Amino acid sequence: QDGLKQCLADFRQQLAWVERLDVTLGPVGGPASQSASNTDEVDPENDFQREMSFYRQAQAAVLEALPRLRKLQVPTRRPDDYFAEMAKSDQQMQKIRQKLKSKQEAMERSEKAKQLRAMRKYGKKVQTEILQKRQKEKKNMLNAVKRYQKGLSDKLDFLDDEHTSSQGNKKGSANQQTKKGPNAKRRYKNQKFGFGGKKKGSKWNTKESFNDVSSFQSKVAHNKGPGKARKGGKKALNKRPGKRARQKMKNRAR
Amino acid sequence: GKWKNKERVLIFSSRGINFRTRHLMQDLRTLMPHSKADTKMDRKDQLFVINEVCEMKNCNKCIFFEAKKKQDLYMWLSNTPQGPSAKFLVQNVHTLAELKMTGNCLRGSRPLLSFDPVFDKEPHYALLKELFIQIFSTPQYHPKSQPFVDHVFTFTVTDERIWFRNYQIIEEDASLVEIGPRFVLNLIKIFQGSFGGPTLYENPHYQSPNMHRRLVRMSVAAKFREKQHVKEVQKEKKKASKVLVKEDPTEVVFETPAEEKPVEIQLVKPESKPIVKDKKKLRKIQRKKQKKLFRTE
Repeated sequence: QDGLKQCLADFRQQLAWVERLDVTLGPVGGPASQSASNTDEVDPENDFQREMSFYRQAQAAVLEALPRLRKLQVPTRRPDDYFAEMAKSDQQMQKIRQKLKSKQEAMERSEKAKQLRAMRKYGKKVQTEILQKRQKEKKNMLNAVKRYQKGLSDKLDFLDDEHTSSQGNKKGSANQQTKKGPNAKRRYKNQKFGFGGKKKGSKWNTKESFNDVSSFQSKVAHNKGPGKARKGGKKALNKRPGKRARQKMKNRAR
Repeated sequence: GKWKNKERVLIFSSRGINFRTRHLMQDLRTLMPHSKADTKMDRKDQLFVINEVCEMKNCNKCIFFEAKKKQDLYMWLSNTPQGPSAKFLVQNVHTLAELKMTGNCLRGSRPLLSFDPVFDKEPHYALLKELFIQIFSTPQYHPKSQPFVDHVFTFTVTDERIWFRNYQIIEEDASLVEIGPRFVLNLIKIFQGSFGGPTLYENPHYQSPNMHRRLVRMSVAAKFREKQHVKEVQKEKKKASKVLVKEDPTEVVFETPAEEKPVEIQLVKPESKPIVKDKKKLRKIQRKKQKKLFRTE
């Protein structure tokens, strides 16, 4: 220990600061008091943290030293027309620049590819939406036509462009208000019998349909009712004459 | 102005260095205009010969790189006539030519030296700091130097080692880019004389690379031995767990063996019926056989 100090005392050169240009400082954020805690935090295994601490230390040194140098009239900035040999040759710098450029290009390319993929996905989604919309409209149109054919509605509104309703939203809401449409009875019948045939699956033997006793009439079940209502002994509506009687009728007609 | 501070540094190496070390040496020579180069020294010569070499070249400082086993790199920093010297183990060498070091500086411009505050706290670090300053700072008005100050060397003490970095100063507001080279110095010893003399300080945290490699190998071996040991213990356990139980007569009471059948010994092999999967194929095979027989007849 003492030997070290002695040696240091012998060895130390007393030179002007300008000769030595040394700065002893902690990283940016303060010397002595803060730097101790700073170095404790810096985990040497964490590369980024470590390099950042070196960087900050260098910055602190620079920030301190440059004003001093300027005072001593030592130039620090290189004038633009001063050309001299550099530590790394121009060829080396070219290589470095190329590498940086290629890295940047690669990144840009990957970004573009990502964007393209995202756009394609979006485009596909939009396209499917449009197709579905078109199919829905077609279906509605066909239903409207069938309704008219079956005589269920006598309005030929569907031939007019229905698209106007979707565009003019304010007007469309008014139209929709008046379109409460058919009766509840009509709506029930539409729902049950539909257009173009009975709806699929209306005759399933499910739990609900089994438990559904709404179509039970006790008078009919116990044969207590008046029977099918007949008006005073008229011929039963479905009574069909027998074979012999029908043939007689035919022969007589000829 | 006049060049007053006559510092000259001799930078050279021993034989057996690899390409990285050679490049590092060249980089140091380009960065320090007050340096001189010399040929490789034969390892057979003693270290104090270096002092004579330095005197011949009229240098008063020296950086000597020594490579051992083609793996480990040691660096000596010394003040040649009588001053102190220090030996370091060099690790993590990155040279100027690496493409990640994007900065550049004037050749021979004077560097700014930046030290960690830790350097002022311990006497051995203080001595090292003085050594670094005298060796690395370019004297003012040196004929080969450029008058601008545009780069900064940083020496930081982290993890009991000294980290060296070289940054280029781009703007006055201290934005920096790394120029390189970069290396890590692990202090081994400080001597009072140049390349010899009594030891002033020995680094307790230093572990020689041989020791390090040995430890690694031993740990691997220890793991292997551990595994073997565990296997053996398991074997022993298995053997020991077989407990012999006495024969219990009551167990056999209800056993009624089946009637023994007369032993029929078949002398002739029974005819095996071939499994006919494909009659046509069988027929084809038969026909071929017959044809063959027919031909041979």
